[in-house]
Amino acid sequence: MNTEAALSSALEGTVIIESGDERGEFAGVLLASLGAEVIKLEGRRGSNSRRLGPFASPQADAEQSLCFHRYNLGKKSVSLEVDHPAARGVLERLAQRADVIIDSGEATDVERRLTLYRAMQAANPRLIVCTITPFGLDGPYRDLKMTDLTHLAMGGVMASCGYDPRPDGVYDTPPIAPGMWQAYHIACENAVIAIITALNFRELPGEGECIDVSIHEAVSLCTEVALPTYIYNTKVVQRQTGRHAGLGSTPPWLRRTKDGRYVKAFLFWSGRDVRIISEILNEAGIAHDLASDAYRALAKSSPAEAQAHFSATIDTLVASMTAEEVFHRAQAKGLLWASVRYPEENMDDPHFQARGTFQPLPHPVLSRELAYPVSAATNGKRRLTAFHRGAPQLGEHTQEVLSQVGLSGAEISALAVAGAI
Amino acid sequence: MTMAKATPARRRPLEGVRVIDLTRIVAGPNATRMLATMGAEVIRVEWHDDRALDLLRGVHPRAPGGAADSLNRSGLFNNINPGKFGITLNMNVPQGRDLFKRLIVQATVLCENYSPGQMERWELGYDTLREINPGLIYLQITGMGKSGTYNNYLSVGPTAQALSGLTHMSGLPDPMPPAGWGYSYLDHSTGYYGAMYVLAALLQRRRTGRGCYIDLSQTEVGVLTSGTATLEAQVTGQPTVRHGNRMQAAAWAPHGAYPCRGTDAWITIAVQTDAQWEALVEEIGAPDWARDARFKNASGRKAHEDDLDRLLTTYTASEDRYELMDRLQKRGIPAGVMQKADDRYTRDPQLQERGYFVPLPQSEIGTWPVEGFPAKFQNMLVDVGGLPGRGAPCMGEDNDSVYRDLLGLTPEEIASLREDWII
Repeated sequence: MNTEAALSSALEGTVIIESGDERGEFAGVLLASLGAEVIKLEGRRGSNSRRLGPFASPQADAEQSLCFHRYNLGKKSVSLEVDHPAARGVLERLAQRADVIIDSGEATDVERRLTLYRAMQAANPRLIVCTITPFGLDGPYRDLKMTDLTHLAMGGVMASCGYDPRPDGVYDTPPIAPGMWQAYHIACENAVIAIITALNFRELPGEGECIDVSIHEAVSLCTEVALPTYIYNTKVVQRQTGRHAGLGSTPPWLRRTKDGRYVKAFLFWSGRDVRIISEILNEAGIAHDLASDAYRALAKSSPAEAQAHFSATIDTLVASMTAEEVFHRAQAKGLLWASVRYPEENMDDPHFQARGTFQPLPHPVLSRELAYPVSAATNGKRRLTAFHRGAPQLGEHTQEVLSQVGLSGAEISALAVAGAI
Repeated sequence: MTMAKATPARRRPLEGVRVIDLTRIVAGPNATRMLATMGAEVIRVEWHDDRALDLLRGVHPRAPGGAADSLNRSGLFNNINPGKFGITLNMNVPQGRDLFKRLIVQATVLCENYSPGQMERWELGYDTLREINPGLIYLQITGMGKSGTYNNYLSVGPTAQALSGLTHMSGLPDPMPPAGWGYSYLDHSTGYYGAMYVLAALLQRRRTGRGCYIDLSQTEVGVLTSGTATLEAQVTGQPTVRHGNRMQAAAWAPHGAYPCRGTDAWITIAVQTDAQWEALVEEIGAPDWARDARFKNASGRKAHEDDLDRLLTTYTASEDRYELMDRLQKRGIPAGVMQKADDRYTRDPQLQERGYFVPLPQSEIGTWPVEGFPAKFQNMLVDVGGLPGRGAPCMGEDNDSVYRDLLGLTPEEIASLREDWII
């Protein structure tokens, strides 16, 4: 029995129709990485994300958007205008063949199309429809205009991310949205969990499903201790530089290295930490007093002073090495430290190469391969998820997909003349 | 086991799926939380030593009152582990490992996130377990992954965030240091990927009868969610830099967090079009600075973003954050208050109306709200209270029912195991 099967074919034979905007695109990518056939309906102008940078070319170009390429890996592109009256018949045919429809965008737009999808579900009761909207399809905030940034603010992520306040407790730097599209990542991850759950549900056997994902709720769910701290103790955590938000100031984690980089060196202030760091200091030939009676006495009489001294000693140690030296030496001794890497530095790291974290895929315009981050897991031997193709060019699969659902060449031409494709 | 509550109208999508849960802290338990929410029978297996005791049981916040050393009063633990059953089992002794193997025979899924090598030290690695149960789906979560050159490196959320690039990408530009994430974001995300992959494996198992091994790396989840950075670096040859809250993918400006009246009160505003900018100018009373020709179109605003942000702050600083959000939204401008936990819990009408906070009973601390799944469903029964219909299990709360119903042990045998410090 083969128990080593990868999951890159787990959804083989599953057809996903993806419509909408950038809010839901990552869901299609994740499903494609598990083997689903994802057909993107993106209209004649192409998806919004084709107009978002960074671009591979000096000028903005719909085929050169790296944003589009990242968030549409492994999909097929059909240039169908889903809101065009002539598109309805095509959508109905596609829905007959589909297992899942994903639509994302503002609730009003999605709800208008949802009426159509529900009609399609009547014809294909096993169809799963998943909508991804800012606040879900009901509630008082339903129609607020939102972006990734405003979601990270309202969902509570930014309240925990940023910099230490001034000594008087006043924040003179803004809260930080930690990276682009993270609100959409979180929402899409939850959407995919819901969708694959619904695919399992059909096997019970059950019927299709309508899934109403709220980006706001997804972001809110992803804030760790913040809500429980208020719910249980009516206290609000305060953000701090490069470390966890907390109820009081905690010692620093970020430390500067010899090569001008940072490491994340956090401590539990235990005897074990003191022993290990003493060992590293000794091996590095750096004089210190952590093993002295004086330090032990200070630790007993004034723990705060001892911690400050310990922390300063670690600063000295870290400043004597490069970030990578600190990372490997600390890990070799059992400390949970890491260098603060640029994301691209992992592409050439033997660890990630061995695990197949990045997959080279051809870029259609650059005439070269780019390494895309594709996999977070292995089956013990090889990467668990992968892509059969890169991102599509606009309308690249229009003919192929429409032919597959039975449209003749003349019918496809008529759609083009009508402005539906 | 017959612990499921009767729900005649709607079925739980993962009914019949049994998960043995050897996870701790947040990443692993978050994966099994999702599976429990979807209706799997999740049985947490814990013990009173530092390998198997979930440290989260001891952390703050804690429900008021009760014994100071109680393992059942952590609010965070309750929020991360609702809908699960809980048993104790001493895996350090052969009898305990034998009982564990009997549980594995009955399992569909095993989820585990011990430090690298612990399962092998117990002689309970995947090769052993699949001999016991060939259809087993085994999710193993580690910081770096089970293979590769860092397979023995240790990691928690902040470690993985640093190495993956997420820490570097978050914050104001140099010379400010990275702000990073103010919590273990990758504990959450890794849980989501764990759940996602187990669900895909379940689907595959239904179709093929085969189980599988999933070696999930927390750091790689960070790599996967680092957006377009690695692609851009390959094309430009330039290292990734931080942009604060500004939008680098488009000429959206203003785009940031602006102070409002009050203590640590902020509003985020994201102007995407010239029409939104015109509406913003009108809303703030069209001050002279806002009519500056530099700000007339998107490229001009983007080119002069420092001045734009500084000048906009002169307006927002005296405004009430919620009132300003309301006024901007009425004009179609994306704007959102930076909500802290108290804001979300006490004054966010959306979370309240959608039933986001689910009151669930917990056997020691009573009924407390737990965060629900962020979607509504039409047909499936999906609820965060799961099969037991409650918050997190108390330590060993379900020993009697699980050992009786699942392994067929008699009350006398269970009492004996308890006396011998095996359960």
